[in-house]
Amino acid sequence: MNWINLEHLLRPLDAPRQVTHAPSLDHAQLSLQALRLAGGLRERGIRRLAVHLEDAASLAIALLGAWRADAEVLLPADLQPATRERWQAQVDLWLTTDEQLDDLLGEALAPTDLDLDTCRISLCTSGSSGEPKRIDKQLRQVANEVNALEQLWGKDLGTAWIIGSVATQHIYGLLFRVLWPLCAGRGFERRQLPFPEDLQRASREHPAFAWVASPALLKRMGDNLDWPALGPVRRVFSSGGELPSVAAESLQQRLGQWPTEILGSSETGGIAWRQGEPLWQPFADVQLSQDDQGALRIASPYLPAGHVEQSADAAEFSDDGRFRLLGRLDRIVKLEEKRISLPMLEQALCAHAWVAEARLGVIEEGRAYLGALVALTPAGLHALRNQGRRAVIDGLRQHLAGHCEALALPRRWRLARQLPLNSQGKLPQAELQALLLAPRSMAPEVLEQTQQGEELHLRLAIPPDLACFPGHFPQTPVLPGVVQIDWAIALAASRLQLAQRFAGMEVLKFQQLVRPGDELLLTLRFDATRGKLYFAYTCAGQPCSSGRIVLEAACA
Amino acid sequence: MSDPQQDLNRDLKQLIIDALGLEDISVQDIDDQQTLFGEGLGLDSVDALELGLAIQKRYGIKIDADAKDTRNHFSNVATLAAFVTARQAA
Repeated sequence: MNWINLEHLLRPLDAPRQVTHAPSLDHAQLSLQALRLAGGLRERGIRRLAVHLEDAASLAIALLGAWRADAEVLLPADLQPATRERWQAQVDLWLTTDEQLDDLLGEALAPTDLDLDTCRISLCTSGSSGEPKRIDKQLRQVANEVNALEQLWGKDLGTAWIIGSVATQHIYGLLFRVLWPLCAGRGFERRQLPFPEDLQRASREHPAFAWVASPALLKRMGDNLDWPALGPVRRVFSSGGELPSVAAESLQQRLGQWPTEILGSSETGGIAWRQGEPLWQPFADVQLSQDDQGALRIASPYLPAGHVEQSADAAEFSDDGRFRLLGRLDRIVKLEEKRISLPMLEQALCAHAWVAEARLGVIEEGRAYLGALVALTPAGLHALRNQGRRAVIDGLRQHLAGHCEALALPRRWRLARQLPLNSQGKLPQAELQALLLAPRSMAPEVLEQTQQGEELHLRLAIPPDLACFPGHFPQTPVLPGVVQIDWAIALAASRLQLAQRFAGMEVLKFQQLVRPGDELLLTLRFDATRGKLYFAYTCAGQPCSSGRIVLEAACA
Repeated sequence: MSDPQQDLNRDLKQLIIDALGLEDISVQDIDDQQTLFGEGLGLDSVDALELGLAIQKRYGIKIDADAKDTRNHFSNVATLAAFVTARQAA
């Protein structure tokens, strides 16, 4: 294998080398296309190019072409409307399809070396501040990293064909699926292959192959695969999030090798790696330290010179320099390797007219997803009362869909009049978690209880999210009469110490609908001689329902 | 009269709801022809992975890893049902 430094990739080659197949592309063709794209960009005066391409070879052409034309490249995480809007002012052109790439080709510029200090690439994440963040890198940082990867694993990989299940818009896919193989002269698969059977099919076409995968795939590899045929895999890379140890063990049993996990971030690039061990080994050139909270601080040639990155990952070092991760210190969560900023989504939710406040948490049932606790505004409550829970949740999901990827859309929703804040005005994450995990309430909230002569007066709030609403009239949630009777019996039983059993009802009247968010007064009186419980619900002085419930002694 | 085809479709919808934690969706809300992924029900590739595992487990079938484009069977409930039926017969 002949290594070519990243900055020398546009130099003419002595011998042909394959880049990819289906359709086939060799290095000379790739360089020519890149130089023609550079010409096209120059002709159009484009200096700032946003690139989002599914084909890894097209991405390579776009990157080399842009760098040759002295244009900086931005790799947006996705093409959501909000993402486009966010970067619009910093971009001259969005390159998002292969057809568009073809249209941009012009007169080829002469091949030259790329300048490691002036060529730039920017990656995007959701940052720790809650705002999506743009991370600018000099080509030198990226070049340092691919050189280090080849030093470490180049020999093992040999001529392995590189097959990836991850996108190339992020640092891991960009390095492992595109730039590293390109420099090393390893062929790579054009498309991201997110499903195990596609990975298997692609693998079988090559005598030697390696996988650039992530836990989302590796923890869901079934026994429908032909594991003996996959055994020759040279290396299984995993990055983006922690691979559960059961998944790693299962791969070890099936393939006879442990997956190679990479720890890193868009900001820092690779930090450390491990293979079948709990401890992480820092990459050779990476210097780690800790702040006083125990969070990792990273200095590395993959960062801008002199920069020390403060992470939110707490760590514990062993004497040999390896370390154990203890978890994140902030509220950035990862769902299937996608970094999700809970504060950012909460802000986005709060921008909706129906939402007063919102808090999000992760629910781990099957796959992990988000749950949302939303305090409704009066407009939100109005929508709930007149359009129903489904319409409200659909509206909120659609609103959020412009701000995040589908996997970050909350799947569980709890609606409330207000967030149950503690005395410090906070809702601790653990409490929020409990609220999200609990089934939706079936009972009213008792706000106040007073005894007036023989009557017990209960002031009740009807929770917006009562589980009794659905089904009745989906578009107009009303409290079913049978539930009102049930509540009267249950509240009387616990507060008037009634042990009797329901035997029938008399003079039942339903005069006014009860809807989510209503506040009711429930009057209860038990006539012991007749064995009858009198109940009446009123809302703002207007009768809602009333009746007598006949009770009889419970048989032993 | 219960139609076995309808039963299977209903079964698959419930499986989708359970396996993917879709709390606010009921069997009636999923149309047989409705696109499950991307637009439509809004499921993503990880859901497809989860669903693949759940279906193999529930129906004791195997997704043929050597056949091309197996995930095309996942476009909607009707195609899924046809796939399950075909694999069960195989």
